[in-house]
Parts: sequence; structure tokens; C-alpha cells
Amino acid sequence: MSRRRVAAITRRLLQQFRRDRRTLALLFFAPLVILALLGYLLRGGGSVPTMGVANLDTGPLGGVVASQLERSNTVSATNMSQADAETKLHNGDLAGYVVLPPDFSAQAQQARVVAPDVRLEGSQPGLSGSILQAVSQSFTALASTAGVHFEPRVTYLYGGPNFDTLDYFGAAFVGLVVFFLVFVITAVAFLRERGQGTLERLMASPLRRPEIVLGYMLGFTVLALIQSAEVLAFSLLVLHVHNSGNVALIFILEALMAIAAVNLGIFLSMFARTEFQAVQFIPLVIVPQILLAGIIFPVSTEPRLLQVLSHVLPLTYAVEGMRNIMIKGADLGWSSLQLDFGVVLGFAVLVILAGATTLRRRIA
Amino acid sequence: MATGEPYAVEALQVSKRFGAQRALDGVTLRVRRGEVYGILGPNGAGKTTLIRSLVGLIVPDGGTVAVLGRRMPSLDILARVGYMTQQAALYPDLSAAENVRFFAEIYGADGGVREALEFVDLWDRRDSVVSNLSGGMRTRCSLACALVHKPDLLLLDEPTVGVDPQLRVQLWDRFQRMAREGAAILVSSHVMDEAERCDRLGLIRFGRLLAEGTVAELKRQAGVERLEDAFLKLSESSAA
Repeated sequence: MSRRRVAAITRRLLQQFRRDRRTLALLFFAPLVILALLGYLLRGGGSVPTMGVANLDTGPLGGVVASQLERSNTVSATNMSQADAETKLHNGDLAGYVVLPPDFSAQAQQARVVAPDVRLEGSQPGLSGSILQAVSQSFTALASTAGVHFEPRVTYLYGGPNFDTLDYFGAAFVGLVVFFLVFVITAVAFLRERGQGTLERLMASPLRRPEIVLGYMLGFTVLALIQSAEVLAFSLLVLHVHNSGNVALIFILEALMAIAAVNLGIFLSMFARTEFQAVQFIPLVIVPQILLAGIIFPVSTEPRLLQVLSHVLPLTYAVEGMRNIMIKGADLGWSSLQLDFGVVLGFAVLVILAGATTLRRRIA
Repeated sequence: MATGEPYAVEALQVSKRFGAQRALDGVTLRVRRGEVYGILGPNGAGKTTLIRSLVGLIVPDGGTVAVLGRRMPSLDILARVGYMTQQAALYPDLSAAENVRFFAEIYGADGGVREALEFVDLWDRRDSVVSNLSGGMRTRCSLACALVHKPDLLLLDEPTVGVDPQLRVQLWDRFQRMAREGAAILVSSHVMDEAERCDRLGLIRFGRLLAEGTVAELKRQAGVERLEDAFLKLSESSAA
């Protein structure tokens, strides 16, 4: 073992990186971006889940519990009528509500049991958990003074008590896996086309640019559709991810995401010269999107500023669309799903145009 | 032009800059059908830039380019042009035949795959995946891709770089055969001995066309015996 030879390799490596500003930037800049984003997401004073309190109690205890909830800092509770709360639950404005029945005080004093109705939206296990916890905490004061049992009756708008984290993430990941893999594969394939010189050849042929884009799109869409079908079948049949929606609708949304991903790949490959550089897009383009698209952290609980950013990202709508279909059983009659489909479709069209128009410049 | 038939290539006062560097500086050049025209010059002289501007990959800053009678860029005319890049630009995961068929389809040619592969002696290796072919075979396969649609104009950017002498002789025989059949062939090279096989030559240096003519004319013009000396002498005299 020669120290000199080892040192030569080490030095050469560092020299290489000194010229490769891009990789250096990625190496030292990307982690800061990702960590800063994560820090802001988790500590940026994001909002807590919103819930409704319908206090119908004729006695005094209902008011005590309600004000306890309103003072809670783990949920944002507001007094409202039961009908109002149910409407807001359907609109997605509330993550849940609690109904304190007219005989609430009487029951607590006579039967030593409090049995409020807790109704949860149910599509986001994290939010449901926070609300159940807040409700039970609001009763602890009551329980210790009066010695009553707390037996909430929990019902769900979507999902159910067996609905777990995998059901929540699964719905999003069915679309995401396809989106990101197709994106990376297209970008790499396109760069290879360029690196091996065949793109130059294509550009000197009678091929029109839209023909190249369309040909690529169809080719990768075939692969992406097979992959989508596989991912979907595995999720539903092997993992038993919850699905209340139409499988065909999930498939269409996946296909739209795949088409968008192909064109995003073509478009972004313009900003890379090598396959290595294409892979560098992953921490810069993909990771922030995963953090912000509501996949892990619900968009409604993000800090305000990040919510704005999330609502600009098309992926947010794709993820929400997937969840709308799979968790809520949405069909195209739902205005929220129309919005999701519209945004994903619009994004696909946008990147198709971007891909086709930038193709010219990529060659020179 | 005398016969009324347009030139295969007519470049008039073509200029192109890349930043401060003049890649092409007022190049005027005409290639007729049925001739092999060689562009001879050292590395970085502007040969590739000239060829790329003929197929519309580069838009010149000044001057005009017409190919087969049509002002470039024109996608329709590109269907009658064959272009072989310096590097053997092929799909390494496809077989030789699949590569040639792909380019045939892109250029709208019906068939011709077998003919093209036989032309370059690769028909026996048609099912071999390109990544398993030797360098010389790849060059031939690349040539087959460039001529599968029987182009009227064939542009070859240093087609014989890295090709062994025997194969080089074969390739040149083929270029001359194609020219006899009526195609125009424009080939760039920095190798003097193969320039001798061109019908006409253009000497290019620093983006300028220094001299043009048959081999004999160039030698006479410079008053020397060897083409290499002619090249040196003519580039000196034009620099002065």
C-alpha cells in the first residue's frame, strides 16, 4: 500500500469537485434547504387541527368542557351547531367535532358516565388522534372532580377505527412512486440520448419536436401504466390499503401524473448535462416536494407561508386527489376532485409545452 | 447551376461566433451532386460547425445556407439528407438492425435496412447488440443509419477517425460508389491521404475557407508535390 498513490486518488477527487460547482452546491446547500424546510414545518408555528364543539347540554358541565376545549392549544375548537359542524366536516374545514348531548350534565351526575358523540373526518389519522386526545383531556378535569367515566362514541365520516397510517400514506404513495420513478427514468433516458449523440442525429432528421416529445411520452406511458397497475394491485391486494373509490379513476389520475412526470423529466434534463446531474435533482426537486405536498404533514397544519407554497405545488393536488378517491370514495362529481384533476391535467399540459419548446435549446 | 439543377449544398458567406471565437468566418462553398467534396482542416478549424449549420443544428449569425435548392432550416429537405456524426451515435441497447430500422422509419424510408447493412458488411451481425460491436463495426453501423434512406446529400463528419486502414479503404470505396450513383457527399477530415480520394477539396482553417479545388489544382496553386505541403503553404500565404 503506497501512501502516495492513495493520496493521489484523494487529491484528484477533491480537484474534480472543485471544478464541479454544481455538485459542491448540492453537497453543502441541499441539506440546509431540506433541514430548514423540515425545521420550519415542525416548529414554524403551524396551525393545529380545527374542531367544532356543539354544546347542547342543559346543565352546567357542558359549558365547562366546551371552554376547556376552546382553551386547548393542541386543537382549535369553536362552538357551533351540530348541523353546521357536519357541513364543515364534509367541506374539509373541520377535522372533527364533539357533541355534548342535552342530558350531558344529568348523565354525568346520575350515571357517572359521560358519553359525548365524537365525529371525526377520519381521512388523516394524525388529526383524528389529536382531536380524540384533546377531547379526552378536556374531560379529565371533570373526571377527577366528579369521578365519572369517559366513554365517547366515536364515528367516522371516512375510513373508520381500523383506518391506519398505511391507509393514509398508501393512497398518496400509489401515485408518488410512479411519478418520481418515471421522472427520474425519463430524465436519465433523455440525457443518455444526448450523451450518446443520438439526440443530435434526431435533431438533424425530419423529426418535428412535438413528435419526439409525443413518442417519448407514449413509450414511457406504456411503462408507467404497467408500473401503475402493478403498484396499485400490490397496494390493494397484498397490503390491503384502504380504498373506497373507483379503481379506474385512481388509474387515470396515476396516468396523468405519469405523463406529467415524463415531460418534467424531459424539461428538467435540459438543466443537466450528465446522468449524474439528473440524479442530483432528487434532493433539490423531489425531497422538498415530498415534505410540502401534504404527504407526511397535512397541508392544513403547515405554517401559513408553507401552505401558500404547498398550494402552488401540483403534487399537492395529485396527492389530495389520490386520497379523495381512495379514502373518501370521491368521484368526478366532487368539486374538490375536479380541482385536483384539473390542476394535475393543467400541470401535465404545461410541462408538455415546456418540454417541447426547450428541446430546441438543449441540442446547441 | 448551368444545367438548371440546384447545388446539393450552397453556403454563402456563412459566419458563426461562439462568444469571442469565430467558428466560421464568411465561408462560401458549393457542392454538386455526384461529387465527393472533402473539407480538410486541423482540429478546431470549423469543420463540424460548418456541417452542423448545413443540417440546421446551428443557425448562422450571417450568410445563407441552401441544401438541395432549399434555404435551411427546412425539415422537409432533411428527409433527403443523411448525417453521420463524428461519434458513432447509436442506441447501444438495440441491435444493429434495430438501429438502422429506427432511422429508416424516422426518415420515412420503406425498407432498405438489409441493403444498408449489406452495404457496410454488417448484415451477418445484424442481430448483435451495438454495445457488443467493435468500434469499427459501430462506425459502419452508424454509416448504415445515415444512408438507409438513400439520401441525395450525405454529410460525414470525420467518418474514418479511429477506423483501421483496411476499413478506411472500404468506406472510401463506398463513398465514391454512392457519388457515382448521383449522391453528393460532403466529408470532413484532417487526414491528408484520404483527402486525395475526394473529387474536390476545401481547405479550412480558423473558420475560413482558404482554398478550393481538385487535388491537382491545389498542388499546382501551391507549387508543391504533396498535398500536405500545399495545405501548409496555402494557409501561410492566406495568413500573410
